[in-house]
Amino acid sequence: MAKLFKFAVRAVVAAAAGVVFAATGASYAHAADAATPALIEKGKNLAVAGDCIACHSTAGKPAYTGGLAIASPLGTIYSTNITPSTKAGIGSYSFEQFSRAVRGGVRADGSHLYPAMPYTAYAKLTDDDTAALYAYFMHGVKADDTPSPATSLPFPFNLRFSMAVWNALYLDTKPYVADKSKSVEWNRGAYLAQGLAHCATCHTPRNFLMGEISSQYLRGGSLGTWYAPDITPGALSRSGWDQAALQAYLTTGHAPNCATAGGPMLEAIDKSFSQMDPQDVQAMAVYLTDLPAADQHAAPVPAATVLPLATSDIAEMAGKIGAGERLYRNNCAACHQVNGDGVRGLPALRNHPGLRYPTADNVGMAILEGVWPEHKQGMPGFEDQLSDREVADLTNYVMATFGQSKVTLNEHRVRELRAGSATSPLLVLSRAGMALGVLLIVALLWYWQRRRTLRAAP
Amino acid sequence: MTTKNSADVCVIGGGICGALLARKLSLAGQSVLMLESGPRVGRGELVERYRHSAFKSDFMAPYPFSEMSPHPVFTPEANKYIEQAGPHAFQAQYIRMLGGTSWHWAAQMWRYLPSDFKTQSLYGVGKDWPISYDDLEPYYYEAEVISGVGGSTETGSPRSQPFPMEPVPASYFQQRVTDRLAPDFKVLDDCTARNSRSFDGRPACCGNNNCMPVCPIDAQYHGGIAATSAEKAGVHTITEAVVYKLEHDDQGAITAVNYYDWNKTSHRVTAKTFVIAANAIESVKLLLMSATPQFPNGLANRSDQMGRNLCDHPAIGVTFDMDEPVWPGRGPVSPCSIGQFRDGDFRREHAPFRIDISNASQVASVTKELIGAGYYGVKLEGAIRDRASRRVSIKNALEQLPDPDNRVTLSDKKDALGLPTPRIFWDIDDYVKKGTVETRKRYDEIAKQLGATNVKHSKEGAFSNRQHITGTLSMGKDEATSVTDPFGRAHDHANLYMVGTGVMPTVGTCNVTLTAVALALRTADKILSEARHG
Repeated sequence: MAKLFKFAVRAVVAAAAGVVFAATGASYAHAADAATPALIEKGKNLAVAGDCIACHSTAGKPAYTGGLAIASPLGTIYSTNITPSTKAGIGSYSFEQFSRAVRGGVRADGSHLYPAMPYTAYAKLTDDDTAALYAYFMHGVKADDTPSPATSLPFPFNLRFSMAVWNALYLDTKPYVADKSKSVEWNRGAYLAQGLAHCATCHTPRNFLMGEISSQYLRGGSLGTWYAPDITPGALSRSGWDQAALQAYLTTGHAPNCATAGGPMLEAIDKSFSQMDPQDVQAMAVYLTDLPAADQHAAPVPAATVLPLATSDIAEMAGKIGAGERLYRNNCAACHQVNGDGVRGLPALRNHPGLRYPTADNVGMAILEGVWPEHKQGMPGFEDQLSDREVADLTNYVMATFGQSKVTLNEHRVRELRAGSATSPLLVLSRAGMALGVLLIVALLWYWQRRRTLRAAP
Repeated sequence: MTTKNSADVCVIGGGICGALLARKLSLAGQSVLMLESGPRVGRGELVERYRHSAFKSDFMAPYPFSEMSPHPVFTPEANKYIEQAGPHAFQAQYIRMLGGTSWHWAAQMWRYLPSDFKTQSLYGVGKDWPISYDDLEPYYYEAEVISGVGGSTETGSPRSQPFPMEPVPASYFQQRVTDRLAPDFKVLDDCTARNSRSFDGRPACCGNNNCMPVCPIDAQYHGGIAATSAEKAGVHTITEAVVYKLEHDDQGAITAVNYYDWNKTSHRVTAKTFVIAANAIESVKLLLMSATPQFPNGLANRSDQMGRNLCDHPAIGVTFDMDEPVWPGRGPVSPCSIGQFRDGDFRREHAPFRIDISNASQVASVTKELIGAGYYGVKLEGAIRDRASRRVSIKNALEQLPDPDNRVTLSDKKDALGLPTPRIFWDIDDYVKKGTVETRKRYDEIAKQLGATNVKHSKEGAFSNRQHITGTLSMGKDEATSVTDPFGRAHDHANLYMVGTGVMPTVGTCNVTLTAVALALRTADKILSEARHG
């Protein structure tokens, strides 16, 4: 489920460029090293860091055979088979073709990938690591001839070459360049966080064309439903994060500052971060808690620490509690306890960092969908049991009581969250038909032309 | 197409059997209308009602009572909904609510033993079923997969496939009792539909020890989940629909059912096929109430077997204080049992039984006992801590043989809608009584092995009900001695089926829900096959 949202965002990104433009893909002239076992193993670890498996596999099917159906606002997108099958996968890809797909978003046949594939982040990969990934996918993954279903989005989103102009705007093909003023570990963390781990894909807000706003790197953004919080150092430290807490969180989904992962982040932890080399996770934590000054900002000060709550049944028995508290006691307190402190590994809500976000979407989403780690105790979803009004009341009670937050959720927003990602403005655009599409194209062409002119200006 | 008064199949009763049958039919393309006499109530509200209840040991406390679809109630005063006509009161508990009685249970999902299906041939007692264990095996598995059952592989019921769920890990209490009783008594994991991992949108058991009366997190399967899954499969449900009469044509085919909504407005529903899944007592009531000049003794009752052969597992219990603290009350309330007295040649002589070891928290009962004995203050607290940590509570489930005199009929009393309430005659025969003597012997051996003091047997001659209500709609090959055929179809009405524990001819040596669900899934297959082949 989690990947649906991430994927949906990427699908919207894909749809953002409705423009016809000739492609001029970057070329990466680099021969693949011989596929030694060590290189294949290295590539395997990199594939874990890139979380390739999350999108390119379907439950119950062989790994990397793709076929994951994503109900995006613009139609169903299917991930592809990336096993070394020459019939259904990427077995016939040369290293150059592989590299161009992963780092440039262009398939072997020259057509463009949708940025559902996070190639704008993978572009940071070094040539050596790309070679290792190639070695792994050619020799470490079992070939499977199961074809993945073709993706066919409606016009204009079916015009894959339209992605070229989007790439011109948002794809930086330059691999990562080390910052000599920082430690080796910091640079390793930066390389991974910016590249394979693609943190910015969710945590950086996007503009109306769904391009990442680079000036607001990692300052938080909505995926339509789940919210990816601000993870710049100022925001992190204000919610009790330090390097050790981040490491614990990325490895287990829990952290000493009461954080528990849900939604797409939980999936990334289950499938990627928790499987990575602990030193790499540590390096990312080092980097994230020490971003370059240019990427930092004065994060808003969240509410003060919520002190332990005195609870009593008297008000309840007298019928003097509100709807939200009543819902909480009936549906949540068995695990989170009446005072919100949790018990024996069942998470506390009091001072949970998720209650300090500028939106209550994640609380609403957790209530609707539940939280389902692969191996640990799950939280059931309540979408069948609670109405929009009840989800809103419950969310607002949790936000106010255990987070002392004034941020609320209303019924309307709960209805949107329930409906999933079908709230993109692009959906409206696509439904508005050709006329608007043409306008968009013209606007884009103008914008692109202007940008080129400005760049070319002395 | 389903409308609010017409469908291919009309299912009367939205409990675990009716709902899972309805779901299966709907998934296979039949339009299904499910009528439930009780209300729709969510888990959150049930949890709240239990929290507010002053009667925490009354497992019916959370379940709302309505005069419109009444069920037996025992606290604070018994409502005497059932008129008791026999020497032993049949203290039935069932829930008239969407999801039915398996809302409050310990999710016990046991397969019968192969021998339970043929006690007459093997031991000269009871009745042989018209079907064998092997006939039911695939349906047992189907039901286990739906509900997520795990348990011991040593219960004596052969399996063609492994359990779909791993058992919940044994609590310290269970581990200690198991160790202390070995090797004389073999304590086995119970077979339960309880998650030990996330499954089907429900989390793993986290040990609230509140399985009865309601699991607050749905870690265990129940009829409410079955009803939701039926609705998701396309079944149209009407709650607060109290069916009071079936209609038939000259050939005896059922043509319609009539129900009252809670305002006593009558509604009529037509269908091609009708399935009664309304509990082993209430289903009988409905069919008896539907008597017509053509069927003066009630529908499906030309054999005069309707409502007879009522069985339960009469139970006796023992409590004692073990010689070491073992702290019952963590994990599921009914995690383990001793199965070695369920089968053997002794079944010719006395009732077989399973011994169930409770893991329910003993704090409330111990506290009541100590306050009654005059404890107070610090001494009371210390004594509660001590006794609650060592208190062991055990009960059994004795197989009762079918007896035509044990039966459900209509009483002269009427409920708020003017419908008759049930009357029950129930007696306990020597077969069971001899079983209690054997049980007490074993109880004393167990108590001794656990270093027990303060041993208290339940009252001699008294039995509690385990609510495994069977026999009243018995299936059989012989039309003269049974109500339904081997598929649960009424002998007298070709388009009328019955599901639920009532169709089970004998009560066997274990909890009955899994067998009833397996039979219901088998009946669904029969209905589908009839629909296909006319």
